[in-house]
Amino acid sequence: MKPEEEIRKTRYKTYALVWMILIILTGMTLSAAGMELGRWTVPIALAIAGAKSGLVLNYFMHLRSERLLIFKVIIPLVLAVFLIFILLTFSDLAFRGGVR
Amino acid sequence: MILGSLKEMDEVKELVSEEVRDDTGARLGMWLFILSEILLFGGMFILYSAYRYKNPVDFHHASRELDVILGTLNTIILLTSSLSMAASVAAIQRGQRRLSMVLLMATMALGLFFLAIKGFEWGTKIEHGIYPNSPTLLARAKGEILFFGLYYVMTGLHGLHVLVGVCVLFVMLILLLKEKINPTHVTPLENSGLYWHLVDMIWIFLYPLFYLIS
Amino acid sequence: MTSTEATESIHPRTSFYENHGRYRGILSWILTLDHKRIGLLYFIVVMAFFFSGVVLGFFMRLQMLAPGTIMKPQTYNSLFTLHGITMIFLVVIPAIPTIFGNFFLPIQIGARDVAFPRINLLSWWLFISGAIIVVISVFTGGGPPDTGWTFYAPYSLRTTVNVPLAVFGVFVLGMSSILTGVNLVTTTHRLRAPGMTWNRLPLFVWAIYSTSWVQILVTPVIGITLVLIIMERFLGVGVFDPAKGGDPILYQHMFWIYSHPATYIIILPAMGVISDVVPVFARKKIFGYMAIAISGVAIAAVGSLVWGHHMFVSGQSDFAGILFSLLTFLVAVPSAIKVFNWVATLHKGSIVLEPPLLFCLAFIFLFSIGGLTGLLQGALANNMHLHDTYWIPGHFHYIIFGGMGFGLFAAFHYWFPKMFGRMYNRKAAKWAWLIMLVGFNIFYFSMLLLGWEGMPRRYYDYLPQFRNLHLTATFGSWILITGLIVMFTNLFRGLFKGEKAEDNPWGGATLEWQISSPPPTENFEKIPVIRHGPYDFGELERNG
Repeated sequence: MKPEEEIRKTRYKTYALVWMILIILTGMTLSAAGMELGRWTVPIALAIAGAKSGLVLNYFMHLRSERLLIFKVIIPLVLAVFLIFILLTFSDLAFRGGVR
Repeated sequence: MILGSLKEMDEVKELVSEEVRDDTGARLGMWLFILSEILLFGGMFILYSAYRYKNPVDFHHASRELDVILGTLNTIILLTSSLSMAASVAAIQRGQRRLSMVLLMATMALGLFFLAIKGFEWGTKIEHGIYPNSPTLLARAKGEILFFGLYYVMTGLHGLHVLVGVCVLFVMLILLLKEKINPTHVTPLENSGLYWHLVDMIWIFLYPLFYLIS
Repeated sequence: MTSTEATESIHPRTSFYENHGRYRGILSWILTLDHKRIGLLYFIVVMAFFFSGVVLGFFMRLQMLAPGTIMKPQTYNSLFTLHGITMIFLVVIPAIPTIFGNFFLPIQIGARDVAFPRINLLSWWLFISGAIIVVISVFTGGGPPDTGWTFYAPYSLRTTVNVPLAVFGVFVLGMSSILTGVNLVTTTHRLRAPGMTWNRLPLFVWAIYSTSWVQILVTPVIGITLVLIIMERFLGVGVFDPAKGGDPILYQHMFWIYSHPATYIIILPAMGVISDVVPVFARKKIFGYMAIAISGVAIAAVGSLVWGHHMFVSGQSDFAGILFSLLTFLVAVPSAIKVFNWVATLHKGSIVLEPPLLFCLAFIFLFSIGGLTGLLQGALANNMHLHDTYWIPGHFHYIIFGGMGFGLFAAFHYWFPKMFGRMYNRKAAKWAWLIMLVGFNIFYFSMLLLGWEGMPRRYYDYLPQFRNLHLTATFGSWILITGLIVMFTNLFRGLFKGEKAEDNPWGGATLEWQISSPPPTENFEKIPVIRHGPYDFGELERNG
């Protein structure tokens, strides 16, 4: 078996802990919804969702234990692509009335 | 500098192409497919963000009609199903076939439970006349029409992915039963797990964006 | 280039044609797992659609030969729509990656096949299915689409022709494209032979690799957009319908987020062909290997940021217009780097003027014109006048047909002996090339002039002031078609009556030239160990 193929067995305990944190974060996002956060509403919701995704990606999907460079690159890559699409689209939507 | 980092990639492998099976390659392929799925939903998230930006008040109003309790329950269901999925893979890695199968069945059950709740939610909305192109919906503000349009399409597409996932897991269950998936050959189950976690992650974003706008 | 342990002595003479695997007859082709057979399957289908696309174009030009009309306006609308759908989705996007990428990428990296042979077959079946669905849409449900291949909302939401089925067909084609991309990226990462480092890969492989990334990342966006068109038409969802608060400009954003990078999916593989062929016929290492490899990646990356240049007059914000225009100018830089490097490779090389090189030279010339016209229309002020005129199809036919098309023909003429074990008539090929080059420029340069003069595109008739240029253009198209006929007849003849080809008629140094023509089933008797770069002709000559 090649070095990168060694199966790193995750402990059940780790999974359970991650699950616990995910539930807590869900609770946090629920209570954040009840608060008056103004223009921080969306960023905070996305930050919590991002944290949850990070946990799923790294622990449940084992991204953390992948050794090859390509695995480390793909999620940042897809995020960058998505971000660019949204930002450039908003360069249109947010400035329809002209640049202030 | 470029050549330097390329030399890092310069792994003179053993005769890779002579090997019959390449688990890392199979995993890489699955991840690349997952990237394409992320952008499939990503396209819809672009539309969502555009229309929420243009109609913040309407989105707020429309969101209040969704059942937060059911949405939260569904979130917990999917998160738990991800736990059982990951544990199922861990189990077969340790040779615990029966446990792996039980956990896999739990995952599938949770997935179906999710779909049942979703179906119920949709059902109640449709009963109240809120569905694409309904007279009731068309009479509302533009932003609300868009909200529900996006709601049905995005949760519908997501639900379809859950359904496909359950079917795939069923196939994995059979393979486990036949011991085609075993401690020396876990990759199909792992890859199915990757797909399942993806479906969970999409919901992680759908949940606050549809249920928790206030 | 390679010090292989085996290929000097053992040349297995059983070609992949003779080894049919589990099945016999036609099943041994349509159920094959051999990447070379799959490449040929794509070849047949793509060429069939190329011919249909040319026929559609022929009738378009016939209509535009003189003022007045020989057909209903609706018919003309459907003709240019189908011409676009066919050429873009069924020909120019798939052609080089699925035919030559499939056939040669594994060989060029020293592998026996792609990473996922069954997914490769699935990709082909999805391609055929998507194609059939598009064809069916022409004859059912209200008739062929008339929206243009761009399917802009809200017209595509309301027109009574069979938009849903056509659009669904394209969606299925998109799935095929994504899977091919996944396959080729994984193959390049995982199946390179020992010693085949990233900086020893043929530039064709680099090009296909970059293209495959774009396929994976942007195709899903058009996928979801097309699904939304269908949802809109059947369920009335409202996302692009102004009556329900939707924004048609958002449709254009979503459409072009894919379709602009798609133009790089189209051109990058062709550039890869040029990068492989030019060194062989200049007998000289490519100038600036790393610059060409990285510029391909740069084109893929920056090219994904410029889509708004299709939308300058759509109603998008001025700010977006300025941003997209600036980015558009930037993306010209890596392309120019490639052109410079190819020319620098030719400079002081020992030029061998064979058909593959001729097509490469035509590529460089025509692509440059296309690229420069792109800069002209990328300027906001110019675009106001040029958008939706004949300038635009003039520009993109220079790039797509002059660029990718001639690149494809270069690939045909370069790899023909390897794929089929036979040689075509070189003189006939050169004549075909000349006729096409002349016809092409008469045809498409007239279009540029027409657009400059203000002739709108997608119009079935026109004012008398445009008659001369239209006449010239149509005339040029007939010369071009004649050249195509000569070329394909020559190749077809070569297939059956051509002389047997040697294993390495051109003296190429990449791996495909070190195995027999046609290649054996699993490509290599023994996987080679690579010790040199792909354009090391000196090494090749030393090895005899």
